[in-house]
Amino acid sequence: MKQKRSGAQVVMEALVRHRVDTLFGYPGGVVLPLYDELLNWPQVNHVLVRHEQCAAHMADGYARSTGRIGVCLATSGPGATNLVTGIATAMMDSIPMVVITGQVNSWAIGSDAFQETDIQGITIPITKHNYLVTNVDDLPRVFEEAFYLAGTGRKGPVLIDIPKDVFIAKTEVEFPDQVSRRGYRTSAPVDPKSIEEAARLLNEAERPIIIAGAGAVWSGASEALRALARKADVPISSSLLGLGAISRHDPRSLGMMGMHGEAAPTLAVQEADLVIGIGMRFDDRLTGKVDGFAPRAKIVHFDIDPSEFKKVVDTVCFVPGDLCFSLPLFVEAVKPVERAGWWAQIRSWQHDHPLVVPDSDSLLARHVLHKLNEVTSSNAIVATDVGQHQMWTAQFYKFKEPYQWLSSGGLGTMGFGFPAAAGACFANPEREVWAVVGDGGFQMTLQELQTAVENNLDVKICLVNNGFLGMVRQWQEMFYDNRHSYVAMGSPNYGKLAEAYGVSYFQCSERADLDETFKKARSVKGPVLCEFRVEMEENVYPMVAAGATNSNVIMDPAEHRKPAGVR
Amino acid sequence: MKAGAKTIVALVENESGTLNRLMSLFRRKALSLDSFTAGDCEQDGFSRLSLVLHADEGTVHQCVAQMGKLIDVVDVQHLPDDDSVRRELALVTVNSSPEKRREILEIAQIMKCEVAHLGHDTLTLECAAETRHLEHLFALLEPYGIHQIVRSGVVAIQTEKN
Repeated sequence: MKQKRSGAQVVMEALVRHRVDTLFGYPGGVVLPLYDELLNWPQVNHVLVRHEQCAAHMADGYARSTGRIGVCLATSGPGATNLVTGIATAMMDSIPMVVITGQVNSWAIGSDAFQETDIQGITIPITKHNYLVTNVDDLPRVFEEAFYLAGTGRKGPVLIDIPKDVFIAKTEVEFPDQVSRRGYRTSAPVDPKSIEEAARLLNEAERPIIIAGAGAVWSGASEALRALARKADVPISSSLLGLGAISRHDPRSLGMMGMHGEAAPTLAVQEADLVIGIGMRFDDRLTGKVDGFAPRAKIVHFDIDPSEFKKVVDTVCFVPGDLCFSLPLFVEAVKPVERAGWWAQIRSWQHDHPLVVPDSDSLLARHVLHKLNEVTSSNAIVATDVGQHQMWTAQFYKFKEPYQWLSSGGLGTMGFGFPAAAGACFANPEREVWAVVGDGGFQMTLQELQTAVENNLDVKICLVNNGFLGMVRQWQEMFYDNRHSYVAMGSPNYGKLAEAYGVSYFQCSERADLDETFKKARSVKGPVLCEFRVEMEENVYPMVAAGATNSNVIMDPAEHRKPAGVR
Repeated sequence: MKAGAKTIVALVENESGTLNRLMSLFRRKALSLDSFTAGDCEQDGFSRLSLVLHADEGTVHQCVAQMGKLIDVVDVQHLPDDDSVRRELALVTVNSSPEKRREILEIAQIMKCEVAHLGHDTLTLECAAETRHLEHLFALLEPYGIHQIVRSGVVAIQTEKN
């Protein structure tokens, strides 16, 4: 038996056991015992945020930029509920997080006590698992389990709700040496039969294509993915969150497919005779109308989560298990082959329907993001909010490796980009980190400028200001007779705002000034706000309208005379 | 058993929030359950559940797969119609004037009911059977005037080990 220590001490021991160096949090009444204990643990850097939502997003950005578990902390009641958007964001994208919330004293639970909320109940649908710990003796086991569950299998956020008296109560119980939950398997075992079958299908296919998702990133399957592309000469398209699983500079990488994906991979999937989804979940933004998705293809699906099997599309072969085991075996099993004819077809789509950076004098968002990719040599960690700027970043930033791309894909959380980038900065102080945000999303979480300043974070904000909620405006233009309903976005004077926070500020509204603006911004140490005042009504293309099949790719009418489509 | 009804059985760990977590899964899929039962079983700290719902095969497959993902759920399966036994307990209170009592008791006997309570002008019958049998019983008692029916929900078990 160890000597007695408080619940708060157990929490800190658990964090240190799991090499947590940064904790994003916000204090309050019931977590006072933990905050007091925190002062005794200098090896854990507590980052004081300005809103709990951003504690969750920063923990998320920390996780997405490292592959490690992000940890955040909030008090009961409103502190806990403010985390909800951040937890849901992480859940939708399977991001490993441990979320600690304080709860009212255990004897007061259920009495509508001050700042009481049933955060366990609230977060059941948006956590991989969650706990309400009413006995301090359970804390060591629960923390071991939480880290294990968050960081293994299909990863996800795990919440631990701890009443104030449990932080104070003493326990002698030690941390268990291993976690055992009968109901939890990190992943299904490798299934050689299905791998053989998948290999046979690929060997027999004439027009195969891979869709790589975030699972390939989180399973560390990049190397195998590259080897597969090379050996089987198979093109690789990406889901939004799969960007970086294979370098966009790899000759066999076609970039993102789907609603705002590049035309070539989207059309290639429509024409393919075999589609292999690897660590992805056939999201509706990727498939378009499911009935018309990949109409000529048999579909093979590799995923760690067996419940994804046939959830959306009908597959002929499901390969269960962790990609880091299954994919290398698959690479071994496939035949080396060259697919010159198929590649000729794909290259012609790429040639006919490229991403366009228009040669206009006025500053377009596309100019900005194209330039960002260029000046950073595709090496930066880039976080985004949600909307047009997110899609342009996905299109124009040529991500090279895993954990470089932080974007809320599933939940589509505005306000995510800046705090996520800040979280990435804490985890990667030596890296260049950019937050690409719109004027809408930035105004949701810009209070974290203060957090960035206090920590002298080297976070660069690329604010693409078009005075609109651009994506919503685009949909109103295209599908609602251009009737603008509450999409015009006023903004504060960002220069004065930056000055008030003590943040370096640069503004650019001319295309000719782009290079200079980026040069200045990149030369400054510490937080930088770069405002790019871009053309107000620029649209994102290519586009597949919601409810349409992916065969109907709409190209930028200003740039393309040739309609993009397949037979 | 109603046509199209599917039975799911599961072994779950008893933990704070377990049932909430399970129900949340069905609620967010906008599925309603015909019946749900939970109780202690042969293993300490674990419960066995039986759920009945009307849904197509694909939906049931998804439910089973997603239940299986829950950390508390040790084992879950869609119970096949054969190699399984399903029972439901019903209590039914029916009007029974002295002149009708004999008739009702005859039905009760044939339908394998126990008399749980004999009142002055009511009878409370107890019957454990398959759902179809219970529904037939209710139909037979209906003409006498049923006061109240209480059903336990289906409990189900697989009869042969896989």
